[in-house]
Amino acid sequence: MHASVKFLLIGLSTATLLGACASKSYVVLLDSPDGSTGKVVVHGSKGEQVIERAGYGATLDGAAPAREIAGEQIRQDFGPAMAARPMIPERYQLYFDSGGTRLTAASQALLPKVVEAAARRPAVDVSIIGHTDTVGRPDENEALALKRAQAVAELMRSKGLQFHALSVESHGERNLLIKTADEVAEPKNRRVEISLR
Amino acid sequence: MNKNKWIVGLCLLPMLALADQPVGFVKTVSGEASVTSEGKAVTAEVGTPVFAGSVLRTGRQAAMGVTFKDETVMSFGPNTELTVSEYLYAPGQGKLRLGSKLTKGSLNYVSGVIAKLKPDAVTLETPTGTIGVRGTQFLVKVEE
Repeated sequence: MHASVKFLLIGLSTATLLGACASKSYVVLLDSPDGSTGKVVVHGSKGEQVIERAGYGATLDGAAPAREIAGEQIRQDFGPAMAARPMIPERYQLYFDSGGTRLTAASQALLPKVVEAAARRPAVDVSIIGHTDTVGRPDENEALALKRAQAVAELMRSKGLQFHALSVESHGERNLLIKTADEVAEPKNRRVEISLR
Repeated sequence: MNKNKWIVGLCLLPMLALADQPVGFVKTVSGEASVTSEGKAVTAEVGTPVFAGSVLRTGRQAAMGVTFKDETVMSFGPNTELTVSEYLYAPGQGKLRLGSKLTKGSLNYVSGVIAKLKPDAVTLETPTGTIGVRGTQFLVKVEE
């Protein structure tokens, strides 16, 4: 009698769990395209759950801890959404000699590859963002970073860049890749970032 | 694809104009899908702009993918409705926010730069709960 009650309880809870995800609203964590695994937090009317393992999921009401979701169910519920995923954006960094808009030789050599990569993307949306190190006045660096971004945009267009949307921006010395004090010459901060989407 | 070209020099524009700039573009579409911005619905095609406030919808047997300025990538299965409630992306000024709302359907979400720089600024609302995003890829299904 004792044993059969236990069996019944286990049977019920399994059915409830399976039923929960087969019919209800839920979230499943996956590995990121770069191979890392982040996490998601679900705040629902019935509680809060943290999901930290890829392939694990929880209902959106937050009622129960995350559990493994069958691959078959993921394919069934999310196959079309996963298949429609656009190409993952790419980001490039180009570096400059100090004080001007001349690219380093290595960055100059990278440009044709960036133009080719852009051509592989549907309706490519490009951002070209200029940065400086902290040598010089902030307002001058704002202008210098814009000149760098514009120079890169010009070079890319001369190499045949086609785009659907293009933005050319300056972050001056406000967005350092390597944090430094003021008036520090840092080659890694003298850069233009290109985001291809 | 070339009928709409968007050239933006953000730093040259007054801040007010930012609200009118696209925050992303449709990159993949199959079947019937639409983007509704300021109450006006357009058929989604590769290159259709998405704005803060836009509502993205897919019909039966349709799917659509959108890539946002901060490199967030979202794609939708059939019978899906997602609203881009809030979108701010100005890392140089520390202005970061991506709030969206999935009212029905299925979503594949790959988080972008906003989640990397300011994880608390990224939320996805659903009718039964809110999802906080800590730099990752995930799937969400909302049953009506």
